[in-house]
Amino acid sequence: MTLFSQAFRPVGSAKVDPVLIALWVSLILLALIWITPFVFIVFTALKSNATVMGASAFMPPTELAFENFAAAWWRGNFSTTAFNGVVITVIKVPLGLFISAMAAYALAKVPMRMNKALFALFLFGTMLPFQVMLAPIFRQVNAFGLINTYPGIILPYLAFGIPYQVFILYCFFSAVPKELSEAARIDGASHFTIFRRIFLPISLPVLSALLILDFVATWNEFAMALVILQDPKMWTLPLGLMSFQSQFSSDYGELNAATIMTVLPAAIVYLMFQRYFVAGLTSGAVKE
Amino acid sequence: MASVDISGVKKAYGAVAVMHGVDIPIRDGEFVILVGPSGCGKSTLLRMVAGLETVTGGEIAIDGRRVNDLEPKDRDIAMVFQNYALYPQMTVAQNMGFALELAGRSKAEIKAEVEKAAEILSLTALLDRKPAQLSGGQRQRVAMGRAIVRHPKVFLFDEPLSNLDAKLRVKMRAEIKALHQRLKSTIIYVTHDQIEAMTMADKIVVMKDGRVEQIGTPLELYDNPANLFVATFMGSPAMNILPAIVQDATVLVAGVATLPIVAEAAPGTKIAYGIRPDEIAIDPASPVKAEVIVVEPTGSETHVTARLAEHEITLVSKARLTLAPGDAIGLSFSPDKHQLFDAATGNRLAAAG
Ligand SMILES: Nc1ncnc2c1ncn2[C@@H]1O[C@H](COP(=O)(O)OP(=O)(O)OP(=O)(O)O)[C@@H](O)[C@H]1O
Ligand SMILES: [Mg+2]
Repeated sequence: MTLFSQAFRPVGSAKVDPVLIALWVSLILLALIWITPFVFIVFTALKSNATVMGASAFMPPTELAFENFAAAWWRGNFSTTAFNGVVITVIKVPLGLFISAMAAYALAKVPMRMNKALFALFLFGTMLPFQVMLAPIFRQVNAFGLINTYPGIILPYLAFGIPYQVFILYCFFSAVPKELSEAARIDGASHFTIFRRIFLPISLPVLSALLILDFVATWNEFAMALVILQDPKMWTLPLGLMSFQSQFSSDYGELNAATIMTVLPAAIVYLMFQRYFVAGLTSGAVKE
Repeated sequence: MASVDISGVKKAYGAVAVMHGVDIPIRDGEFVILVGPSGCGKSTLLRMVAGLETVTGGEIAIDGRRVNDLEPKDRDIAMVFQNYALYPQMTVAQNMGFALELAGRSKAEIKAEVEKAAEILSLTALLDRKPAQLSGGQRQRVAMGRAIVRHPKVFLFDEPLSNLDAKLRVKMRAEIKALHQRLKSTIIYVTHDQIEAMTMADKIVVMKDGRVEQIGTPLELYDNPANLFVATFMGSPAMNILPAIVQDATVLVAGVATLPIVAEAAPGTKIAYGIRPDEIAIDPASPVKAEVIVVEPTGSETHVTARLAEHEITLVSKARLTLAPGDAIGLSFSPDKHQLFDAATGNRLAAAG
């Protein structure tokens, strides 16, 4: 009760604030809307097919049918798709972030004649809708003979991921006081040292946010993978899941187990990196 | 330790010229302070010496070696910024040792240098903290420590104390001065606080609009300003400037006071008559009458602003005055203590020999 009554008051005030109540209620409602399908998926994944058909969807499972997961893993060929997903994501995400960070640093902090024009080019890249580019990209990748290969999918992913990361990091780097890099220059640091020793550490919160977003986006990407990875041996998890769905659509327990296994890594990565979101890493660099 | 020669230095940003040929000779070990109104180019000049801005024209030499085209790190300088610019993710010790680390010095050497500097600046207890965990004064000291460990030929300071409160500023002023005496290094220091300039400098450079107005020791500038700008810029409260007309061996000031002068000027010449606030005394017997406008007691002295004819003048008295706005007072001006300037050019008129 005390927790509740505190939550509804502004700090240090004795009066209950109606706006705070309204905010809390909407927050809880939104959370419920978000969590409902998830609960449904988890419950269903743990039920045998007979129970799924028999009982209400939101009844908790009576006996836990963990065998759904094993069966889905085996039937959906998860070893292959998970392996491909890991290879593609683990190469693409850090590589893309690294390139973006270096490009953003150069654009924001290295005086060059072409800075403005180059930045405009990157901005243009963020405006291109990815779907419009699918067909041309397919032709391009095909022309390079890279259909059904890792580079064939990683390169287009990089091309579409980098512009918006550059944009965000450019804004972040531009806001870093110029005295910080000037002090480092006087201390004898090259641009690369300034980038690695000063800018990378202070942009950890931004970088980890971008890493999570990019990881989830890459891990779950469907359309481009569908076009370029046609060989089932090269499929990623979303492709595997789709095929699983069309083959075993009546087996709800296993289908939902497969869904959980597909999204779980993204959730784990989120939990791993969200602690770097700590604000205030730059505070104290310069007098505020 | 080194001399710095700034000769004919010009700076333009695109088509906009902001510095028009600046000459400042600086001797080895000298503490030189650049002062001037905001936007006059103090920071720009300092940054050109540091190598953070390109030099559009002229030459900068450190220890006789032309440095115009050298990278900042090759100029053997260290700079302390107004906002300190400490590396936020590094500890105090890492901040201070960064330059040495980049120079490839051994761990033991770096540790020894950092500890020595920390000792000088009483930072020893704070070496493992991050900048965010320090107070403003401590951050300022770390910024100085970062400069000290490198033993640079020249220290550059750009308004290092302007973010500190008044009390801490006085303390740091003394510390920087003590540091200078201890290290005997050449220092170029930018400030807009003229008390800082008067108390710390060996030599003050007064700048205005990208030009040097005058260079001299603090007392030279105070006693013998080259022109009206320097005269009114140095000293607080500022020197009183009154319009005057030269008569035979006297001058008619503000149209009301006839005073003796010691400068060569033809009778009838219009001039500017300058006198410092502490050279004016209240004298009921004086024929020069003024009306009190504001009385400001500061404790040790009292500042009085009064209206003489239609001009406001300020005087400073050591006495505790019981005056109220509206009171009429008589003013006596110390003879010989005035400074006369050409009304048209603002240049000082030579005193008669
Ligand atoms: N990057 C720039 N581009 C164009 N003009 C500039 C630039 N940097 C400075 N200036 C101009 O150069 C002049 C001198 O600036 P500077 O920063 O040296 O002044 P300052 O004497 O240090 O003033 P303050 O006391 O306010 O710090 C100013 O008129 C300023 O507008
Ligand atoms: Mg400045």
